[in-house]
Amino acid sequence: MIDSKIWSKEETFEREEFEKIQQERLKKTVERVYQNVPYYKAKLMEAGIEPGDIKTLGDLANIPFTVKDDFRKNYPFGLFSSPQKDIVRYHASSGTTGKPTVVGYTRKDMENWSELIARLVTMAGVTDEDTAQVSFGYGLFTGAFGLHQGLERVGASVIPISSGNTEKQIMIMQDFGTTALISTPSYALHMAEVATEMGINPKKDLSLKWGLFGGEGSSEGMRNEINERWGLFATENYGMSELIGPGVSGECLALKGMHISEDHFLPEIIDPNTGKVLGTGEVGELVITTITKEGLPILRYRTKDITSLHYETCDCGRTTVRMSKIQGRCDDMLILGGVNVFPSQIEDVLLQIDGIGPHYQIKVFKKGYLDKIEVDVELADANLLDSFALLESLNQKIKHQLRTVLGIEAKVNLVQPRSLARFEGKAKRVIDMREVK
Amino acid sequence: MLIKQISIFIPNKKGSLSQLTDILIAHGIDIRAIAVFDTTEFGILRIVVDDPDRAVEILNKEGIVAKVSKVIAVEPEDKPGSLNQIFSILRDSDINIEYIYSFIMRKKEMPYIVLKVDHQEKAVEELTANGINVINKEEIYAKESL
Repeated sequence: MIDSKIWSKEETFEREEFEKIQQERLKKTVERVYQNVPYYKAKLMEAGIEPGDIKTLGDLANIPFTVKDDFRKNYPFGLFSSPQKDIVRYHASSGTTGKPTVVGYTRKDMENWSELIARLVTMAGVTDEDTAQVSFGYGLFTGAFGLHQGLERVGASVIPISSGNTEKQIMIMQDFGTTALISTPSYALHMAEVATEMGINPKKDLSLKWGLFGGEGSSEGMRNEINERWGLFATENYGMSELIGPGVSGECLALKGMHISEDHFLPEIIDPNTGKVLGTGEVGELVITTITKEGLPILRYRTKDITSLHYETCDCGRTTVRMSKIQGRCDDMLILGGVNVFPSQIEDVLLQIDGIGPHYQIKVFKKGYLDKIEVDVELADANLLDSFALLESLNQKIKHQLRTVLGIEAKVNLVQPRSLARFEGKAKRVIDMREVK
Repeated sequence: MLIKQISIFIPNKKGSLSQLTDILIAHGIDIRAIAVFDTTEFGILRIVVDDPDRAVEILNKEGIVAKVSKVIAVEPEDKPGSLNQIFSILRDSDINIEYIYSFIMRKKEMPYIVLKVDHQEKAVEELTANGINVINKEEIYAKESL
């Protein structure tokens, strides 16, 4: 058993208790969107469903999916179930193209959100003794404010420093005695580099104990790298603004997947191609139905994230279902010469090779009818400069690993350290130059 | 008797070399010898400078992978057969030459040759014993005018 605090009693519910509360809340949610959101009403009617038809959790599978595009079509407030008067907070997702995805929270939603984050940070080791530095960008993005309010609820001392100005971040970290870092994993790695450059040894000169990372996926290799560089204990948490922001799920200290707060979110795994619901432990796309939200309840949202669900009680004592580490996204899955590859798999291969740094960039383009892939990695070990043969064999080794582990033929470019882009927000590591799908 | 050379990682891109020399100029580092051979996507530039340790520190700070390693500098006599004499000595001592390049600086009348071999100390001994002038580091790094 892992000896750590559990924030709320719902985290150790018996399965029957979860199912009872989920069924009740699902019915209420379907009723709520049917009454308040014309778009949902039309969608449910088209599927031949009336709120009264939803009697058990088994009926969930009949409800149509909600996708990202539904938000775009209903910009800005078309999917809201509460009048604007009852909304106390807006956030919006980083829309890469066109209009952002807008989300709204009622006072009750804000209360629930803080509660969910309090569970998450407690799971990750944070207590009222900790000083937490929130290095997510404050603003419309849900990450910073989301974590902020839950950390305050737990009683941690919060430093709302936002992202950027890395040298100042390190200075504050040292002067305030920060014990918990909240950021994206790639920004955490960048910060460690900057600290070292400033002549600060993150392990010796700083007091970090916990790292709570989210906003983008990361591999086990990246976690190890972060743990090693900072001397902290890293956990990952998961969420997306369409569902609430951070707070959907997070890892506990047992590191056996991310606990989903099932009294607020109803998870399913589907086959992304057929939409068919898959069984426990099977790998597929995560679909979430929010069951306590007032402002913006969402039915069966297709997250595009690939994972699996596990229901056994965790070593930490929590009974909530765990989702495994995100293996990739349906939409960033690269199909290279017929082979399905997730950037995270490439990252895993690279991180296991000595002599290169943790940052990388993947470029994909067409040469004739063939897909060509190039991977840029930073050379880190100066000892390889003794002979060209050593450098060449490092290059061959990377190519070989990519070929044998992933079955892809890639050209590998060794580049100078620090020459690849660092990201303060979500890392964009794949440049796909093939024609738009 | 070994001297220090710097090995620098360079991507095979336009401007890689001038980027390096710009940095060295800015810090008043003087290049005494330089060599870079055919490369694929990347290569290794080798230079001898007047202050190798400081040069590596500066380059690393600029985000360039560079390290100091030891090589031998010899002064062949300016007559036919002098290089052949050096190579023969090494061959007879069962020493393998990894690479070789020459100085761009002509401190005296004679050019210097830089050698990287597999058994460096032994090579110095054999060369010296056979009357080859192996250059010491003071002479290489000396700042005074040519």
